[in-house]
Amino acid sequence: MTTKTISVTQTLAQLGVTRPTQASPLFAALRREFDRDAEAAREEAGWKAFRDAWLGRKSGVLAQITENWLKPAPPELKRAVGQALNELRPHVEAVVEARRAAIEAGAEQAAAARERVDLSLPGVERPIGSRHLIRQTFEEIERIFLALGYTVVEGPEIETPYYNFEALNIPEHHPARDTMDTFYLHLPPGITPRLLRTHTSPVQVHAMEAQKPPVRIIVPGKVYRRDNPDATHSFMFHQVEGLAVDTDITFCEFKGTVEYLVTQFFGPTVKTRLRPSYFPFTEPSAEVDASCHVCGGSGCRTCKFSGWIELFGAGMVDPAVYGFVNYDAKRLSGFAFGLGVDRFAMLKYGINDIQLFFQNDVRFLRQFP
Amino acid sequence: MKLLYNWIQEFVDVAAPAEEVRARLSLAGIAIDALEDSPAGPLLDADLTTNRPDCLGHYGVAREVAALYRLRLKSVEMALKEAAQKGDEVTRVEIECPELCGRYTARVIRGVKVAPSPDWLRQRLEALGQTPINNVVDATNYVLFELGHPLHAFDLNQLAKGRIVVRRARPGEKMKTLDGFERALTPEMCLIADAARAVAVAGVMGGAESEIAFESRNVLLESAWFDPISIRRTSKALGLRTEASTRFERGADPAMAELASRRCAALIQQLAGGEILAGVVDVYPGRPQPRKIEFTRKELLRVMGGDVPDKEIEGILSALGFAPRRVDATPGSRDSLMAAWECRQPSWRADATREIDLVEEVARHYGFDKFPARLPTVKQAAARLPYAEAEDRMRERLIGLGYREIVTIPHVDPERDTLFRAEDITPARLANPLAEDASMLRTSGAVTMAAALEWNLNRGQRNLRLFEIGQTYELNGAQPVETRVLTLGVTGLAREKSIHEEARAQTSADLKGDLDQIGQLAGGLLWEPGGPEWLHPARAARFHLEHPAAPADRAALGCAGQLGRRVAERFKLRQDVFLAELRLDPLYAGDRAARTAMRYAPLSRFPAVERDFSLILADGTRLAQVVEAIHTLGIAEVSSIEAVDLFRGGQIPAGKFSLLVRVTFLSPDATLTEAQLTGFTACIVAALEQNLGAVLRAT
Repeated sequence: MTTKTISVTQTLAQLGVTRPTQASPLFAALRREFDRDAEAAREEAGWKAFRDAWLGRKSGVLAQITENWLKPAPPELKRAVGQALNELRPHVEAVVEARRAAIEAGAEQAAAARERVDLSLPGVERPIGSRHLIRQTFEEIERIFLALGYTVVEGPEIETPYYNFEALNIPEHHPARDTMDTFYLHLPPGITPRLLRTHTSPVQVHAMEAQKPPVRIIVPGKVYRRDNPDATHSFMFHQVEGLAVDTDITFCEFKGTVEYLVTQFFGPTVKTRLRPSYFPFTEPSAEVDASCHVCGGSGCRTCKFSGWIELFGAGMVDPAVYGFVNYDAKRLSGFAFGLGVDRFAMLKYGINDIQLFFQNDVRFLRQFP
Repeated sequence: MKLLYNWIQEFVDVAAPAEEVRARLSLAGIAIDALEDSPAGPLLDADLTTNRPDCLGHYGVAREVAALYRLRLKSVEMALKEAAQKGDEVTRVEIECPELCGRYTARVIRGVKVAPSPDWLRQRLEALGQTPINNVVDATNYVLFELGHPLHAFDLNQLAKGRIVVRRARPGEKMKTLDGFERALTPEMCLIADAARAVAVAGVMGGAESEIAFESRNVLLESAWFDPISIRRTSKALGLRTEASTRFERGADPAMAELASRRCAALIQQLAGGEILAGVVDVYPGRPQPRKIEFTRKELLRVMGGDVPDKEIEGILSALGFAPRRVDATPGSRDSLMAAWECRQPSWRADATREIDLVEEVARHYGFDKFPARLPTVKQAAARLPYAEAEDRMRERLIGLGYREIVTIPHVDPERDTLFRAEDITPARLANPLAEDASMLRTSGAVTMAAALEWNLNRGQRNLRLFEIGQTYELNGAQPVETRVLTLGVTGLAREKSIHEEARAQTSADLKGDLDQIGQLAGGLLWEPGGPEWLHPARAARFHLEHPAAPADRAALGCAGQLGRRVAERFKLRQDVFLAELRLDPLYAGDRAARTAMRYAPLSRFPAVERDFSLILADGTRLAQVVEAIHTLGIAEVSSIEAVDLFRGGQIPAGKFSLLVRVTFLSPDATLTEAQLTGFTACIVAALEQNLGAVLRAT
């Protein structure tokens, strides 16, 4: 093995190098040649030959120089040649390594360019289902009240008039019955009439019959009113009833609870307003309004330009109701509310037709993963 | 109820803009839905709650306004210019049913000239949505809207003997009301009659024969009080709801009856001339005893949790007519915790009889916004429904398996329900459905699931996996029974064609696999062929829980399969549909039992070894038989037996099929040796050959 221009198989004497000053130009020429070789080593095979040519253990240029130049050199040259060789060696080693790295990187780059995945192509999507938006809304409301120490209970959808009306202080012929047009079951005469509950409130009565205060319950469920279906009415819809009865529950706790619910559900900036109203089973009664979460209260189509949205009815439990469940009305007080889950979901997600919930069109269901 | 702002202003000197009054009324419980302009001035549209009939007139709303602004409510007391002759000389009133009519007043105005009303009056009535008729009738309507008390004007000359008899209708009695309809009356109804016949349905509508016409000269003016429940029943029975019936059924003010009569008589005289006979004929059997109501600060604080100063309490209650009077031991001690007031129920507030009613009055006028908001203290741990976690786990799995949840309305078409109903089930029908096709409560979830699939298929959504967690309804005798069920509905492709995968249609095997994954939550399902009639007979199955939690849960948990052709055609489902339905309570119980029994099984440190057996079996041989044959050998190292391939045709002779069974061997104690495995394999092959006539294919 030898270089193209300078023979490393001959001794220095044979090359006519006798003085120390001649070593430096000799090595400079050698280095130029090495650099040219390095430049030429562009792929893996070429690089290996290049490496072996210069660093090969026996026939590499550096090994040959040691063997042929340095060892037989006369003492006056040995020092200069040794020094020049020591300077050349790290250069050679560094460049050889650098070339290897560069070649490898280049190869990877090429491979990457060839094999790169097109990220605009879809991945493999296994079909996944979804919870119905009504269910999601139930769960959201449930979580809010679980955090406040409420227990979830439920009751039958088919009720007796006693639980749906009488025990809630709505006697027969009470005008409030007009606001809750009722489906009755077709049963033989002489049997206790049965109806589809018009609200989840009957479960309040069942719950108070079954347990002593304190009471903190919520009641999710389906309710039915005999309304002709349109964009805002369905003869079946969903409510979450809430009831808290204790010796220390006042209107202030009622208000705090309602405000907590509204901000948790609609957002921290939404304000709550209680408007006096009337329900036979609460007193004082209130309509709960929320500042419009769409426009923030400045007026828009959602809030009919009033800045407020009517959410649900609520109030302090009317003492007459305690009479039906043998609770001591003089000692106990509490609040109750019945919120429309469908309405909450419609407001929160901008849904303009309640029928969409029950048509179950998958194009609708998909929108709420 | 529509209200003219300038009419309200006649009774209270309120100067605030109508918009402000609207807002303040709304926040005090008199909801004003809209404020519009009318030729008669700004018009408030009040949506009144049923407990406040006193606000069904301008004067009543003016009282609320006066209380809100702490202004004086003007009196409507007035005196009449009366003729010398007395009214009771020309008419007589008799109440035969005092339980239905608590008060009846009659005034006589003679010599009126019936004519159209003047513009100012017509304008006001028209603004309230009323059609003006003539000055006498319009005067009664005007006072109705002003004072909230209904009145009726009879043509005195048309009343036999000029007499009024208030009585129940006789069986079979009929009468023509002034809207021209002949009304069949019943003895529950209260009538106004003269000496001969019915002349009005009390508190609802007058009769045609005695109505005021342009030639009428003499008027008998009725102002009465009728029992609310009776009026409500009558109004409902006749399907006749009027301004009068609305007020009486919610509770009119008996004390107002006479004053309204006076006011109306004066207005008639002003509009139509004539002379008012002296005095009023007033039969008042139901004079209410003035009720005293105590109001204490203690109760206010107990209910409201926040205080209201004495001055506010007294101001509000006085303005609303409750005439509060301090009655506690130290009336001079301002804002005392022991403060108590004795109040008087005003005649117009039948709704306010208890202390709590006064608490509400004070609170709503003081302002709900003035009470602070705070959260109650928590005294109990929260709890979800007992089965909530089991349901969560099931729902999670279903969603992971690609099912979308639906919610359906359980009202169904009886014809459709019948398709899915076993004969021994009694459905619950509605007595008053909105429509025939929504007149029954579903007895299965499958009927509404099929409808949901139908809806989607009709809208080009062809690949569906749906589930519903809902209820079915039936009658057990007369006792309604609600049962929680899970329903699955599957159709179209299990996998759509993509650049990565080939398309694959869903089959009943998809449904079975999905149900097994649900069943695993409760310890697994056992399957058997057969199912209800609505399923395809060859692809119908029932399943049970492998480990029922209670004896009652041993009955079939549910059924699954392909929807039968007959039913599919009724729903016009043009592609294969697979349905399943199961009862949830046993599943949840099974889930609880399985969770309780759940324990760690140590993992073997030694490798498992698989051996495949390629078998040729006679048609009709079931995998279960193969598994059974292997299990019978009692090889403890057999850890699983799976079918990994099945095919017919090709080199397989007719009447046979090829089944590739993979058996996995595993020992907890040692690595299995080749000799052991060879032994196991030989046993298995021998057993399958012997018991099932299986032939081992060369692999």
